[in-house]
Amino acid sequence: MPASIVAQMAISGALMGLVYALIAYGFQLTYATSKSINFGQGELVMVSAFFSLTLLDLGLSYWLVLPAGLLFGAALGLVVERAAVRLALEQKSEGWILLTIILGLFFFSAAENIWGRDDRPFPTPIPSESFHVFGVDVTPLELSVAVGVLAVMGLIELLKRKTLLGKAFEAVSVDRDAGELMGISAKRTVMLSYALSGTVAALAGILVSPITTVGPTMASALVLKAFSVAVVAGLDSGFGVVLVGMFLGALETLASFYVGSGWREAPGLVLLILALAVRPTGVFGKAAIRKV
Amino acid sequence: MLLVEDVYAGYGLSEVLLGTSLAVKPGTVVALIGANGAGKTTTMRAISGLLRPARGRVLLDGNPVQGLAASRIARLGLAHAPEGRKVFGTLCVEDNLLLGAYGRLPRFFGFRGRAASDLERVYALFPRLRERRRQLAGTLSGGEQQMLAIGRALMARPKLMLLDEPSMGLAPVIVQEVFRTIRQLKAEGMTMLLVEQFAKTALEVADYAYVMERGRIAIEGTPAELRRDERLLAAYLG
Repeated sequence: MPASIVAQMAISGALMGLVYALIAYGFQLTYATSKSINFGQGELVMVSAFFSLTLLDLGLSYWLVLPAGLLFGAALGLVVERAAVRLALEQKSEGWILLTIILGLFFFSAAENIWGRDDRPFPTPIPSESFHVFGVDVTPLELSVAVGVLAVMGLIELLKRKTLLGKAFEAVSVDRDAGELMGISAKRTVMLSYALSGTVAALAGILVSPITTVGPTMASALVLKAFSVAVVAGLDSGFGVVLVGMFLGALETLASFYVGSGWREAPGLVLLILALAVRPTGVFGKAAIRKV
Repeated sequence: MLLVEDVYAGYGLSEVLLGTSLAVKPGTVVALIGANGAGKTTTMRAISGLLRPARGRVLLDGNPVQGLAASRIARLGLAHAPEGRKVFGTLCVEDNLLLGAYGRLPRFFGFRGRAASDLERVYALFPRLRERRRQLAGTLSGGEQQMLAIGRALMARPKLMLLDEPSMGLAPVIVQEVFRTIRQLKAEGMTMLLVEQFAKTALEVADYAYVMERGRIAIEGTPAELRRDERLLAAYLG
């Protein structure tokens, strides 16, 4: 087996792994402000992708659909916060776990009823003919995933570090009460984090759809892997999810090639179990994940 | 400036405040003293909105604020330097200070420039904070964290400051330094409500004082009056 083919597969896998990283980053955003995550995050990915596809079907240009889809994702994030998270958090209960799962099931059924159960192609202006660079073939489509993920995560991290709003976000993550005493509304910070989380979920959907097609179940495997990535990397390191996401993506491609295509899902679960057994805070994490 | 009227508050089933009332006039320093568990910190939390009073009223400049979110009350001009300091450990000293002025700074860009004069004022008051402005707040000593907590509260240009146990866990020489700052703020006309374990030191700086016992105000008066109270002398002033 020539080394170049191994490198080829590892790189293709790693680029796809960035989608896991992006969805995992969506978990991190809300965990930081509220110690809660949306267990129906995959349905946000899927519904946003369907919504964007509908806009494309209406004849809108891809470059108009992209921002519209992201705004739609932000709105869905706010719906999740309002409907499934806020009341539970106000009562200091863990009810958000069940409520976000239920809301996800609701989104799933709604999507099946509105758009049907079939997988549909997602047209994109980005070409999929591969080109040769540094001895491996990559497609512009794969590259667009990488550029989109890294650009948006980089932008959010930059805003978090450089703006006062971002520092307020961090302050509420560290100490909600002390943040309130500074005049920072914890409620609005949590809303913002859910809106951002919905936005990155929508971006994941729009970026991955041309490769995977759009269907009600398109995100169920993705989100499971993203969850593994978030746990393995830790729930507070954006840099960590990028590294772990790419690593897992590469590992999956290699496993499915060398062991058998049925083994594609194995590395994610093995990493998850290993992380929980050996280092529950995650490789890059500081905060321990609470057992609920 | 501040009126607390017959406030009841607590945590879950345990009631801590059982009808607390007190008043802070503009330009004065009022001390709140009493034994551990008497309800001093709970009173502070009920005033600043971290705890919602079950009954009673809290008036800030004549307007009822009980039941508002703490962030709303903070923007009305009340700064609370909480017990245990509660600095943002993963942010640097200067970011902590900037967040103190969050309510009146632009959210995205240009906030540093707008806060420059306030930063300068806090750094003049606490030169140590200027030296450590790029350091993570979590790596400061206890005394430095207390200075940061007070500086952060000052950044809001508050009408009223609540200082909860500013001397807690500090070496005597640092306690002196903290109280020197409190005296200086008083001289500048700052209105303060001060909770203190060191009743003696608190009475030296206060214009008026309340003594709490089991969720109520037991005794009140000027420091001179309280010093004549023999029961009090025995219990708190050593």
